[in-house]
Amino acid sequence: MLSPVGEVRHHVLTAPMLPSDLRGKTVGFLDNTKANFDRLVTDMGGLLRERFGVKAIVHRTKANAATPAAPEILEELAKACDLVFAGSGD
Amino acid sequence: MTLRSEVLELPDSPDAVYRAFCEREWCDGLPIIPPTAQRVEAMLATVTGDPEESLGPIPPLWRQATLEKLAVNAVMAGCLPEHFPVVVAAVEVMLDPAFNLYGVQATTHPVAPLLILNGPYARTIGMHGGSGCFGPGFRANATIGRAIRLILLNVGGGWPGRHDMATHGSPAKFSYAIAENEAANPWPPLHVELGFAPDQSVVTVFGGEGPHNVNDHVSTNASGILNTVSHTAATLGSNVKWYLSQSQLLLVLGPEHAATVAADNFSKDDVKAFVFEHARLPLGTLKLGGMWGIQDWPRWMMAVTDDRALLPVVASPSEIFVIVAGGAGKHSAVVPNCTFSRAVSRPLTRLP
Repeated sequence: MLSPVGEVRHHVLTAPMLPSDLRGKTVGFLDNTKANFDRLVTDMGGLLRERFGVKAIVHRTKANAATPAAPEILEELAKACDLVFAGSGD
Repeated sequence: MTLRSEVLELPDSPDAVYRAFCEREWCDGLPIIPPTAQRVEAMLATVTGDPEESLGPIPPLWRQATLEKLAVNAVMAGCLPEHFPVVVAAVEVMLDPAFNLYGVQATTHPVAPLLILNGPYARTIGMHGGSGCFGPGFRANATIGRAIRLILLNVGGGWPGRHDMATHGSPAKFSYAIAENEAANPWPPLHVELGFAPDQSVVTVFGGEGPHNVNDHVSTNASGILNTVSHTAATLGSNVKWYLSQSQLLLVLGPEHAATVAADNFSKDDVKAFVFEHARLPLGTLKLGGMWGIQDWPRWMMAVTDDRALLPVVASPSEIFVIVAGGAGKHSAVVPNCTFSRAVSRPLTRLP
């Protein structure tokens, strides 16, 4: 019998290391527009600043949850932030 | 022909093969045809291209849709070799960025790719568009649809609850494939409407919910039938309407309903215009739940304040597709899309 499972053809990507310390860093959130995500960002942003010394929070919102973020949003987050939260549960 | 897939040695027993594939999460829970090299080679002989050729990576695990892997899954599904060109075309369609297969695979919504086959190849392989076309009972429909699901599971990695996050899933996720009933269609068939030649064979894939029944036993004219269709198409719980730019409807008119509508001299465009105007919900109803407050609507809809105002569920009549399928009876079906995937069509191009 032949295996039906597909194979991954790997590409090598170089990703920057996540910072070990958040003090003085800028953290981004990509909001998918679903209910209460904005509240989550507000609360988590406050905690990150108070407890971990984060310098700034950048909160950007997609047009809707159904489609990918616009390229200009991704470019802005990539330039402005040291790390970005790009996923959320419903 | 050189095949590269990992080989699994199993006892020559249907039970042992079924058990082994279930244990490895390599099947949909139903028995499979053992994918031997001989059967896979017979499948591959029906299309042009090298077995190693990949149509692209399938999300969410981005594993390669090589012709060989598609053939292995088609064998398992019970496809005949002549079914395989349709399976390959369906995968090509689903990998079109407009179809947004990543969203279709990963969402909590119960979306399944509905394959519609038009043109002469549907007749060649016995793809059924008549009575009971959504199933059960017709090998081409059942196995081509099942092959697509097995590919999404085994190549894409969309396993339920792990990468396919559908809350309930759907019976349509086992198999969802039909032909249009072109012989009973009073209008040009879907592929001709989309600009293909009548003698071309064309696969369309629509990311839809299961079919919603439209029962109308009493109407004797177009407006009566289409009022019932429109009411079925406009419901608070459907995804359609909240992300208006991505919302599409598929109307599957039964031949009797289609004949009644056409007898009123309605063209397909008339059907679409009528349903666009009537498949609407009052603003006050939309405020009751669904995705109210997180909708993505055009400026003019966001500005509406009168709770009695009737708002459309798709952006224009062109976002409504009309096909004729099924057999005798006063029923049609509405298939709402998932609102993050657009229907895509392309002809069979790999027939040798």
